[in-house]
Amino acid sequence: MDDHWVGVLSNIGVMSFLALSAYLLLLTGEISFGQQAFFAIGAYAAGIGTALWGWPLAAALGWAALAGAAAAVLVGLPTLRLHGLYFAIATLAFAEMVRILFEMWRYQVPIDGELLGPDGADGFRGIRYVFESNIEPSQYLAIIYALLGAVLLGFLLLERSRLGVSLRMIGEDPELAELNGIPVKRCKVLAAGLAGSLAGVGGGLYAHLTTYVEPRTFDVMLGVHSLAYGLIGGLGTALGPVIGVAIDISVLESVRMFAGYRMIVFGGLVALLLIWRPRGLLDETVVHALKARLRSACRCVWMSARVGETRR
Amino acid sequence: MLEVDGLVTAYGKIEALKGVSLGVERGGITCLLGPNGAGKTTLMMTIAGILRPRRGSIRFDGADLVGRTPAQIVAQGVALVPENRLVFPQMSVRENLLAGAYQRSDSGEIAADAERLYERFPRLRERREQLAGTLSGGEQQMLAVARALMSRPRLLLMDEPSLGLAPIVVDEIFRIIGELNRDGTTLFLVEQNAHKALQVAHRFYLMEQGRVTFSGTPGQLAEDEVIQRAYLGTRRAAV
Amino acid sequence: MIDFVQNTLDGVMIGSSYALLALGFTLIFGVMRRLNLSYGPTIMIGAYLGTLLHVDAGAGAAAVAAATVLGAALAGVYVERLCFAPMAAGAGIASMVSSFAIWMQLEQAAILVLPRHTYAFPPLAAGAPLTLGPFLVRLDHATMLIAAAALATGVYLVLHRTRFGLGLRAIVGNPVAAHLVGVDVRLSTLAAFALASAVGGVAGYLVLAVDQQVTPMFGMWATFKGLIAMMLGGLGSIPGAILGGLLLGAIEAHAQWYFGPHIRDLVTFAVLFLVLVLRPTGLIGEAPPAEAAAYGRA
Repeated sequence: MDDHWVGVLSNIGVMSFLALSAYLLLLTGEISFGQQAFFAIGAYAAGIGTALWGWPLAAALGWAALAGAAAAVLVGLPTLRLHGLYFAIATLAFAEMVRILFEMWRYQVPIDGELLGPDGADGFRGIRYVFESNIEPSQYLAIIYALLGAVLLGFLLLERSRLGVSLRMIGEDPELAELNGIPVKRCKVLAAGLAGSLAGVGGGLYAHLTTYVEPRTFDVMLGVHSLAYGLIGGLGTALGPVIGVAIDISVLESVRMFAGYRMIVFGGLVALLLIWRPRGLLDETVVHALKARLRSACRCVWMSARVGETRR
Repeated sequence: MLEVDGLVTAYGKIEALKGVSLGVERGGITCLLGPNGAGKTTLMMTIAGILRPRRGSIRFDGADLVGRTPAQIVAQGVALVPENRLVFPQMSVRENLLAGAYQRSDSGEIAADAERLYERFPRLRERREQLAGTLSGGEQQMLAVARALMSRPRLLLMDEPSLGLAPIVVDEIFRIIGELNRDGTTLFLVEQNAHKALQVAHRFYLMEQGRVTFSGTPGQLAEDEVIQRAYLGTRRAAV
Repeated sequence: MIDFVQNTLDGVMIGSSYALLALGFTLIFGVMRRLNLSYGPTIMIGAYLGTLLHVDAGAGAAAVAAATVLGAALAGVYVERLCFAPMAAGAGIASMVSSFAIWMQLEQAAILVLPRHTYAFPPLAAGAPLTLGPFLVRLDHATMLIAAAALATGVYLVLHRTRFGLGLRAIVGNPVAAHLVGVDVRLSTLAAFALASAVGGVAGYLVLAVDQQVTPMFGMWATFKGLIAMMLGGLGSIPGAILGGLLLGAIEAHAQWYFGPHIRDLVTFAVLFLVLVLRPTGLIGEAPPAEAAAYGRA
C-alpha cells in the first residue's frame, strides 16, 4: 500500500472515533455539536503524555480516554437536563469555550533542549512518539484499526445489552423509557461519558498521527461533520458512521476530477441521499432486513451441515 | 351529500382503513361509533385531506375530494373539528376565529360571523383577547367548533368533541350540536359517548378494525349492543 | 461611566443586525421546527451576488443592497426546496444535516465565482460621526440601527396585521390545525423561508457595509451569530430574538473593550452556556412547545 492511501485510511480510522462519539449520543436522541471538544482534550492529553511526560502510547491513550470521559460527564451533568436544540447549542458553546481556552493555553517544557508543549494559537508541535519509536505508518494504521475494531465490537455487544436497548428506548421516547423504569438521566450521562472517552481516544490517535495539533482544527465545523457522518452512513448500526467517514474522506479523495466542484457535487449528493434515506444508507430498516437475511443464511448452512451429518 | 366508497388508508404497511364505504345525508346528524383503534380518526383525517388514501373515493356534492389539499377541501365547504381540539395556543380567541376564516376575503361578513358566534358562545366573547392556550378544555372545544364554523362549512366533521370533558360540558356540546343542525348545518361526528351520540343521531355507523360493520338508524339496534360493540368490538372482530 | 455607556451604545447598534439575523432564524425555526444551518450561507450567497455586481459592473450601494436581499431570498428558496420541503415529518435531523451539506455547496459556489479571499463591499454611509453630548455615534451604525428597527417593525406588522402573517402564526401554533382551517402550509412555509432569508439578507448587507469587506466565511459567521442571539433571547420568540441580538452586541462590545477579542468570544459563549443551563427558555422565551424541545427526536 502506498503512503498516500495509508494516510487516507489512517484519517478515516481516526475520524471514525469522533463520528462514533456523536453517533452514541444520537442513539439517545441527543444532537451534540460539541464532541470535537473531547477530541481536542484527548489530543492535548495524549500529546502531553508522550511528548512531555515520556509516557508510552498506550498509557497516553488511556489517559486521553479518561480525560475525554471526565470532561464529558462534567459538562453532561448540567446540559443533559436540556433537550434538542437547547442541548445542541449548549454543547456548541462549551466546545467553542474549550477551543478558545486552548488558543490561550501555554504549557511548555524544555525537552532535549527544545521547548515542547501547547503554545496557544500556534498549537502543540512535536508529538513525535510514533516516529521516535520507529513505528511505521502502516503499523500505526494497524494500531488505529485494532482499536477501532475493538470499539465496533463494543458497540455490537452494547446493541445486545440492556444498556443498548435502554439507550435506543430513550432515543425513541424518553418519557416512555422513564415510565418503564429506565434511569434516563443516568443512562444519558453514562452515554455522554462513553462518547467522551471515544472522542478522547480518537483525539489521542489523531495527535500522534499528525504529530501536531492546532486549536482551530477543533472548530464547530468538525463537530457538525462528525454528526453528519452518522446520518450519511446510517443510524441503524455503528458501521454507519464509519461508512459515512469513509465516503467523505476516501471517495472525495479519489474523485479528484471534480477539483473545484468537489463540495458542490458532494453537498448535493448528500442532500439527495437524505431525501432518499433520511436516516442514512444503513438505517434501522435495512439493518434489520440484513440481520434477518444473515440469520436465515446461517440457519441454511447449519441445516445443510446437519443434513450432511445424518447422511454420513 | 358525502359519499365515501371503498376507502383504504395505510400507515406504511398497516392499513388503518380497509375499504370503508358510508354516506352522510344532507341536513342530518350522522354518527360514527367504534372502539379505539377502529380507524375513526384516520377516516376523518382522510376526508379532510390531511391523510392521502391509497384507494377509494370521497365525493362531496358530486366533486371528488381525493387528491385535493386540505385548503381546497375547506374551500369546498367541509370543515373538521379535530380530535383534541388543536386550537392555536399562542393566538387570542379572536385571532383563532380569524384563522378559521382564512379562506375568506369578505372582511365585513367575517366580522359579522364572529359576532354571531360570540352570541352563541358567550364564554368566548368574555375571553376574546385571552390566549387560546389558557382556556379550559371545554372552552377550547367551543373555540375549535367556532373556528371551524368561521369557514361557513356545509358539512361539519367533528372528531370526539366530548373527549376529556366534564359531563356538564359534554351536555353543553351536544346541545350546541343539536342547535347547529337545526340551523341547517349537516354534521358527521365521531363519538366515544355512544349514549349521547344515539340521542342526537339520525343515522349511525359502527366501525371496527378498519371496516364499517353496521349502519342504520338509532332504533334499529339495541343501545346495549351498540355500546358493547362501540367499546369492545364484536366477538367476531375480537377473535 | 462614559466608556460603559459608549460601549453599550456601540454594542446595541451592532446588535441590531444580530437581532435581525436572529429574527430570520426564529421565523424559520418557528414555522419548520427545524434548524436551518444554511441560513448564514444563503445570506453570504446574496452578499456575493451584490459583490459580483459591484466588482464587475461597478454597481452602487443601492443596487448591491437589492442584489444581496434578493440573492439571499432566492438561495433560501433553494435550501427550502432541497433540504426541508421533501423531508417527511420526523426527519428533523436529516433536514439539519442536509442544510449543512448545502452550506458546504454554497460556500464553494461562492469561491468559484469570486476566488479571492476578500472583496471590498461598498460602504453604507460615510461622513463624520454624530456627537451626542460626550458620546460618538458612527453614521453607518446609526443607519444600521434605524434600518433594523424599521424592518423588525415591518416583520411584526406582516405577522400580526396580514392574512399571510395569520397563516404563518397558525402554522407555528399547530401545523395540522393550520391545514384544517385552509392555510396552504407548503406555500406559506416556502414564503416564510424566503422572507426570513431576505430579512437575513438585510442584516448581512448592513454588517458587510459597515465592515466594508466580504469573505466566504461570512456564512458561518452569520449562522452562528443568529443562532446565539436567538438562543440567548429565547427560542421561537420574536421579542426574544430582538433582545438576544441587542444583548449579544452589548456583551461583545464590553468584553472587547475590557479584555480584547479573544476573551470577547469566550465571554459570549460562557454567557450563552450559562443562560442555557440556568434558564433554558432563554431570557424572555415562553415555555417551549413540546415539539421544539424534542425536535432532536423528530
